[in-house]
Amino acid sequence: MSSVHFGIIPSSRFASLPQFVSCFENFQGQTPDENMASALSLCRIGHLQKVNLCPVLSTIQVRNNADAAPTSKTYGPLSDSDRIFTNLYGRHDWRLKGALKRGDWYKTKEIVLKGADWIINEVKASGLRGRGGAGFPSGLKWSFMNKPSDGRPKYLCVNADEGEPGTCKDREIMRHDPHKLVEGCLVAGKAMGAQAAYIYIRGEFYNEASNMQVAISEAYQAGLIGKNACGTGYDFDIYMHRGAGAYICGEETALIESIEGKQGKPRLKPPFPADVGLFGCPTTVTNVETVAVAPTICRRGGAWFASFGRPRNTGTKLFNISGHVNNPCTVEEEMSVPLRELIERHAGGVRGGWDNLLFVIPGGSSTPLIPKHVCDDVMMDFDALIAAETSFGTAAVIVMDKSTDIIKAIARLIVFYKHESCGQCTPCREGISWMHKMMQRFVKGDAKPAEIDMLWEISKQIEGHTICALGDGAAWPVQGLIRHFRPEIENRMKQYANCQEAVAAKN
Amino acid sequence: MLRTPLHRALLPCVREALSVSRASASTAPEKIEVFIDDKRVLVEPGTTVLQAAALVGVEIPRFCYHERLAVAGNCRMCLVEVEKSPKPVAACAMPVMKGWRVKTNSEMTKKAREGVMEFLLVNHPLDCPICDQGGECDLQDQSMAFGSDRSRFTDIDHSGKRAVEDKDIGPLVKTIMTRCIHCTRCIRFASEVAGIDDLGTTGRGNDMQVGTYVEKMFLSELSGNIIDLCPVGALTSKPYSFTARPWETRKTESVDVHDAIGSNIVVSTRTGEVLRILPRVNEEVNEEWLSDKSRFAYDGLRRQRLISPMLKVGGQLAPVDWEDALVSCARALVEAGPHSAAIVGGLADAESLIALKDLFNRLGSEQLFTEEQFPVDGAATDLRSSYILNNKITGVEEADLILLVGTNPRFEAPLLNARIRKSYVHNELDIALIGPQLNLTYDYTHVGEGPDVLKQLVSESHPFARKLKAAKKPMIILGAQQLKRPDGAAILASVQQISQKLGKNKDGWKVLNVLQQTASQVAALDLGYKTNARSILENGSNPPKVLFLLGADEGVIQRSDLPASTYVIYQGHHGDVGASMADAVLPGATYTEKQGTYVNTEGRAQQTLVAVTPPGMAREDWKIIRALSEVSGYKLDFDTLAEVRLRLEQVAPNLVKYDEVEEANFFKEASELNKDASAKLGNESFDVKLKNLEDFYMTNSISRASETMAKCVQAVMKQKQSKYYEAQSA
Amino acid sequence: MTSKLAKPVVRQVKPLLSLDKEEARKRALNLYKAWYRQIPYIVRDSYLPKSVEQCRAKLREEFEKHRNLTDIRVIDMLVIKGQMELKSCANKWSQSCHIMNFFKESYEQKPKDFLSKFMDGRP
Repeated sequence: MSSVHFGIIPSSRFASLPQFVSCFENFQGQTPDENMASALSLCRIGHLQKVNLCPVLSTIQVRNNADAAPTSKTYGPLSDSDRIFTNLYGRHDWRLKGALKRGDWYKTKEIVLKGADWIINEVKASGLRGRGGAGFPSGLKWSFMNKPSDGRPKYLCVNADEGEPGTCKDREIMRHDPHKLVEGCLVAGKAMGAQAAYIYIRGEFYNEASNMQVAISEAYQAGLIGKNACGTGYDFDIYMHRGAGAYICGEETALIESIEGKQGKPRLKPPFPADVGLFGCPTTVTNVETVAVAPTICRRGGAWFASFGRPRNTGTKLFNISGHVNNPCTVEEEMSVPLRELIERHAGGVRGGWDNLLFVIPGGSSTPLIPKHVCDDVMMDFDALIAAETSFGTAAVIVMDKSTDIIKAIARLIVFYKHESCGQCTPCREGISWMHKMMQRFVKGDAKPAEIDMLWEISKQIEGHTICALGDGAAWPVQGLIRHFRPEIENRMKQYANCQEAVAAKN
Repeated sequence: MLRTPLHRALLPCVREALSVSRASASTAPEKIEVFIDDKRVLVEPGTTVLQAAALVGVEIPRFCYHERLAVAGNCRMCLVEVEKSPKPVAACAMPVMKGWRVKTNSEMTKKAREGVMEFLLVNHPLDCPICDQGGECDLQDQSMAFGSDRSRFTDIDHSGKRAVEDKDIGPLVKTIMTRCIHCTRCIRFASEVAGIDDLGTTGRGNDMQVGTYVEKMFLSELSGNIIDLCPVGALTSKPYSFTARPWETRKTESVDVHDAIGSNIVVSTRTGEVLRILPRVNEEVNEEWLSDKSRFAYDGLRRQRLISPMLKVGGQLAPVDWEDALVSCARALVEAGPHSAAIVGGLADAESLIALKDLFNRLGSEQLFTEEQFPVDGAATDLRSSYILNNKITGVEEADLILLVGTNPRFEAPLLNARIRKSYVHNELDIALIGPQLNLTYDYTHVGEGPDVLKQLVSESHPFARKLKAAKKPMIILGAQQLKRPDGAAILASVQQISQKLGKNKDGWKVLNVLQQTASQVAALDLGYKTNARSILENGSNPPKVLFLLGADEGVIQRSDLPASTYVIYQGHHGDVGASMADAVLPGATYTEKQGTYVNTEGRAQQTLVAVTPPGMAREDWKIIRALSEVSGYKLDFDTLAEVRLRLEQVAPNLVKYDEVEEANFFKEASELNKDASAKLGNESFDVKLKNLEDFYMTNSISRASETMAKCVQAVMKQKQSKYYEAQSA
Repeated sequence: MTSKLAKPVVRQVKPLLSLDKEEARKRALNLYKAWYRQIPYIVRDSYLPKSVEQCRAKLREEFEKHRNLTDIRVIDMLVIKGQMELKSCANKWSQSCHIMNFFKESYEQKPKDFLSKFMDGRP
């Protein structure tokens, strides 16, 4: 599978690029040369990482994916024994003592001593895909770092700047299970040959940062990290860096800039962080969840993790269900679980019953919405949601029932994106604020139906033309709205026009 | 200081290409084949799409990209389609890869450009009719070429456009921030070239603003260049505002004379008035930058001008005819004969220098001096190597170590300083300084304060000597002002000796460089002018009966130094120090009003061209001297400029080889001849005249007459009162 | 072959007015006479600072300038111009300053030597 060439995907939620993954699919069955050429062209997508081409790896991957045919197996619910995050709800002690009881730091030394190749192989075997949104195969991404050193140190950056509306999984890990992340840093760091890990935590997460810091200190004191971590002879430091509350700092290169003390504005790629990253050194940026599951995968084996979910979409995943459900929650569930089952089993169903459902935003606010008829039978995994013209994103399911003013809801999201645009590149800076202006009028209906097409075009002018993926993320909700709810918008305009006419007639 | 970050920010491939090209020519990197609009082109690895397209003559529109600045890639105007890529790529930042097929005119490319253009115009005010950039605006041009043909910004009827408050960033640059398209060229210029991190962006998204973070002015000796860089009318020239449209003006290519660099300029004129001065590209001299003094002092060209010949009548200068003036001066000169002396100032052209010299020689006088003093012991002024910048300005980019001795290049030659900074940022150049602590735009090692360090360097007892020795291409830049000191000759001799030692086995690499401060000095020395003007006072019983000042305004000789009987003739263009002590005034032309030859500190001969005619009764300088010679009966045998230049060629052929640098030689001999002098080194520490920004603006009669320059000095003073001002020097 | 040999070509040109030399001479004489008779009136009406004699001398001078002309077309053209000039003088379309142009008194010689050029401020 030619995905080898894509290299490191930003861990952030922005990177959930449907085109990218669909290209990814298209490569199946191509000859390696074709693969390479297409992959090279993909390198320019901007989110993707230029890396050393490794034909051997690609063939292995192709074989893996060849048998990705859908099976008739049902997915979920996940049994308690298979849960990775056993203190998700904070009912137990989150400190080192409690963590040890739950099995964290168990045989970490042995894992580290097995070496980078072993860890990477296990992660590859597990089929783990990045949990930050783009869904890039983690084993592969980590292996890009594992090339001979040119004298520069390497760094692992953990992206804990969880800012996407709807997403609230990393904070649960950090406040209730911080040692999972600390241990994950060590394991992932070892896999990459990193010298240190930087955890970039969102500024608003005060308690989470506090817990994390405590956990890191505990780990240092217990000799689990630092010099001669876990007695393996491997020196590994973990630093925590608190952000200042900018959504854009969740983009991997903006995150790096921010750690360096500059304005959090995405860098141009190439060079990709794996070449020139934090402080000019090779860097990998990964999501908290991806890192945190790594030790468990290593302990229980990649095959165990791969046994969940459909092929290519394997593993367990934290789902955040919010919005108009009876019991909003974060839950660890098997990948590929049907959306309806996820909502009904864990979130107590949609408020007012399934038929009261209007739409769902399946992967955090930047993914296009899907209307009820799609929700009925869609599965929650990368490929199924791509097929439904949306994206798995961070698996932050936002449920909206029929009481929702859908135009207003999407307009609110655009307000968020307008506010969070860094302003560096033109399409995003000017385009999103223009979309915002139009959406504000659409909410009232003060526009002409032709402007709907214009809005669509503007969103297309933003998408794919920006430095980072924030532009895409802002364009998609609007596209989803127009794709599925165009009549709604037109009705609103008609009503407004009628109303205006009536007022004019009265005067 | 920006150094590592920028270096790091460079594309790794570009960096590789750089290091490869530096490493050796034998392992030339394999060229990559790419296709631009189906035109095949072979390029070096690391070339960007935009550069590759330029090679086959395809220009890709851009706003933020600039060849001399780091790549920002934020305007997105240069998006082009690459075959098999689902998204367009930013041509300015993306290195080409093998076999790429770039389509710069495809549907996708056009659509992307149109989209970006539309976005840029959404918040750009429609004030082109009152915008000073009109006619030379990238946004205007490119929206014509690449934009859509109609607007669909319906929100203009609802919420309107963004408006941004203007900022006061000084007396030179006018800001209309609403027009800003956030290309960040000015910011990058400030931090990369000017070395001042004062400009930056604040705010996010649509509220992003380019500014100075806090309320302060952007004061730099190179600040005017951001006007040229700004692709729209957000930054325009304050003195030029609402003056003219570019298509109304006549442009004359010329050369600047405010410092010894000889920057190439374009003089824009209309109806006999200089309206503005812009830089002209010359890679070997000023690249495409210009210092603020050169750019903005032009308003001094029409203030304080001498427009009529004048004679002192009853203790007061009164305007007279040329005939009367010439007759009076000629009579005085003929009477004085060999007892006449002349001093030439820093703005004199080579033509008038040769004319004056010939005239005085015919009168029997050899007393011709430059106002800038220079040691005369040994063979200082006889051998060219000891008074020019031997490595040339471009040599800075090759050097790996520069030792500045008693000079402040930042204000004496801002463009040389910009080169040093460029080399410091990109080539890992190391800089060291002997002299007072200065605020240069790069880090430097402060080796010492005075000549004692030179002594130690000669004897190699100073720790820095080892570093100098280890350098592959060291340069020593000696400030000419140190040579005015009583021990100037000794300083020159010591530096010559050090350079001589360092230059051994360096394959023709010269080490010794002298940085002159005035535009006329090298030509004057080439023509055999003497440098010890004060000596005319020293032969006691026999002071000059006539003192001829050719634009000498720095007051080397005061009126009080001379006996009352000495007749002082001042020829020049401004009523400055020289004119105030004169008995007769002959009004000359400034550099924009005459075709004159100037030789810069490298020894590069360049010529100015006539942009406007001299005001009133003022005349070109060599003609005044030629007329004076005829009236006094010592007629010089040239009538036309061509004939003057023939004469110049006879005396110093290099002066008429325009745009060429005549290299100097006899380094060793110069050093040998000067050897004895080195013993007389003084103990006093070096001092430089131009220490701070406020010293920079007014250095000659033109800039002293300039209102704009006065405002700049005021602005610096005001800035110093500001609470955000940090004392920068030392 | 012989037909291709160069033969002297007589080019027939279209006459302006006169068909032969004699006719042209007559036209010139007529013009001269017309001017001669008009001069007193011109001097009087335009207040010329010249006497009638001076003007007649100038008239003769102007005609003498072209005495050696032989091309009939050129003569005709000059005659036509002279007639136009006469008409404009007689009708007072030309004012005294225009008429005085014939005397070229306000014309100044361009300086030739360096010093005069210098005093003049000429390049």
